[in-house]
Amino acid sequence: RAAAPARPRSGPAPVTDVAELCVCDLLVAQCDVNCCCDPDCSAADFSLFTTCSVPIVTGDSRLCSQKAAIYSLDVEANPPERIFKLIDQVNPSVFCIHATNYKQALSFSSPEMPTSENFDQLLKQFGSASFSAEPDSWNMNTDAQSLSDENETYRYEYGVPIQTVDAFLRLPSPVVSSWCSDANPAGFLVNQATKCIRSVSVEKCGNIQAVSMLFYINSSILAVPKSSQMVNITVQAVVVQSLNGMRTLLNGSDVLRLPMILDELCINIVLGVSYHITYTDAGEIIEAAASFVLGAINKEALSIQQSFEISFTQVNTKPVPLSGNPGYVVGLPVRAGFRLQGYPFPIEILFAALVLNTNKYSQLTILQSTSNQDCLAAQGARTPILFGYNMISGCKLRITAAMKCQPLTQTLLDLLKGQSFPEYVASFGNSQAQDVLDWVPITHLYTSEQRTYNTLQSSCQIPVSLEMEVKWTKYGSLVNPQARIVNVTATITTTTLKQLPSGRERTIPITSSVVFTDISSSAEPGYKAWPTINAKLPFDFFFPFV
Amino acid sequence: LSSVPLQILFYINGIYYIFYFLATLAMIVYKSQVFSYPDDFLAPDLALLFIMAILEVLRLYFAFCFLRGSKGNLTEEEAPLGLSLVITVGSVILSVYFLVWQTYVLKADVIINAVLLFTYGLGSVLQVIAIAAFV
Repeated sequence: RAAAPARPRSGPAPVTDVAELCVCDLLVAQCDVNCCCDPDCSAADFSLFTTCSVPIVTGDSRLCSQKAAIYSLDVEANPPERIFKLIDQVNPSVFCIHATNYKQALSFSSPEMPTSENFDQLLKQFGSASFSAEPDSWNMNTDAQSLSDENETYRYEYGVPIQTVDAFLRLPSPVVSSWCSDANPAGFLVNQATKCIRSVSVEKCGNIQAVSMLFYINSSILAVPKSSQMVNITVQAVVVQSLNGMRTLLNGSDVLRLPMILDELCINIVLGVSYHITYTDAGEIIEAAASFVLGAINKEALSIQQSFEISFTQVNTKPVPLSGNPGYVVGLPVRAGFRLQGYPFPIEILFAALVLNTNKYSQLTILQSTSNQDCLAAQGARTPILFGYNMISGCKLRITAAMKCQPLTQTLLDLLKGQSFPEYVASFGNSQAQDVLDWVPITHLYTSEQRTYNTLQSSCQIPVSLEMEVKWTKYGSLVNPQARIVNVTATITTTTLKQLPSGRERTIPITSSVVFTDISSSAEPGYKAWPTINAKLPFDFFFPFV
Repeated sequence: LSSVPLQILFYINGIYYIFYFLATLAMIVYKSQVFSYPDDFLAPDLALLFIMAILEVLRLYFAFCFLRGSKGNLTEEEAPLGLSLVITVGSVILSVYFLVWQTYVLKADVIINAVLLFTYGLGSVLQVIAIAAFV
């Protein structure tokens, strides 16, 4: 410390010798073109120049006599060569500076380098408002903002980190590498699922905070940001996973199980946490629950994989997986439901008239082809219809003479439509059951394969194909259009079943398909109106006559 | 003994000094506008200029007092002349300051100060001769 020099360092000394100053020398260790003062240029380079871009380098021209370096090219010589002259230039004005006793008069002052000694003085000199880069209006804005914030009621908005008493609700997630980072806050209404690796060891069993249940439930969540209303995190369920992977659900789930060493194993290590947050539509959190998966590690384990997830449910609604928010997302199942029997027809009655099937296999589904292409042997395997994916499937029906018409028709209808074919399809991916107007009824059409009418009306018509056409349109802004289902039509095509002579059998194909059609009208360009020439004659143009 | 050259010289000196004072003042104002002339360099220069003006007035007063005499006849006393000579020394020092040690010395400064020093020199020689005539 005593060895440090007391006086402040200054910048490098300025070059004042005119013979060494060269403004056009920009490239280091290379010859600049037409720069006659460049020291990197050789005589051969000079012979290629056409002019000198810097003909004269002088000192301060206000001095009565100053040194000047003159560079010129002698083009008459062969090869052309550069001429360098160092002369004294005389200022003829009578007011030229003959001498000066003030050292800083003729050059820019070099700024003082800040050191620990003069820092405070420099800060006082240059840290005031006139040197500050921030305009004064910034101070005024924060005052105005804090006044208006006091009267505002806070609420959570989408993506805002959920605040707890000390910091934020943490959802450990991998950052850059797969190791867990505890600094990831959970965002409101952002359903997340993360997996990351944490390093553990049996010796530090009780010391690692992040593997104990207490770490995840000890801080309470604030109901609204910046408030004092707190919501405790309750333990909803605890599942214990043994070393070989078997999971058992524990009955008494309100007991806090902390890591402890038992028989050379460290048990009650948190392997997974699943948060369920209940919120109101005013942006308040009213309930928080966490489910844990606890496991055990042995001496050889150096790291464990932890998985975390968080999901949000609105209060008084059953959690239904959304297929988009609000428009359908390609690849998510089309949501469907049917109206409860007994409800009157008028749609103005807005209580939950629609029963939603949370089981996606009871939703809009299509026949799934099996490896065994026999329709009657198919076990009723169905696959959900995903938005945007056109699907076709089918099977082969073996008709024997012994089959009767009516049961066969019914079997085929069940096969094509499934056990519970819905009546309504959700218009948006997030349509709620309460909003009846957001649901589109499925239109049924029946067509016959035969063009010509069979005179015998009593012949059997069996359905052979189900074609569903889902018409959707783009809704909303041009920048972020949302898919909205407008119309769903289910067309059943029937064919006549001709009675077979006994012993013969026939195979007919049964198909079902679903097609998504985009019926959105394309954007039309809009042009501004042509400007009109607004030329009016002056008021008294025809003066003598009008 | 009336020294006519001395009288002429003092008249010219007086007129020239008025011009010198106004020129130097104008040039200090010009320098303060054109160059960077901080206050702690400007103040001494202006102060010394005004001191020089006062000294010059005193010097010329004593010189003319000797030349005219208050009683009509030439009371040839050497006291005012000696005093004038002493003040001349001070004026010379100040003129040298404006020639060499001023903050900005322009070529015009050099010229007028040189002329002033020349007249001071001539005047001092004649004053010394006049005093020697008494001794």
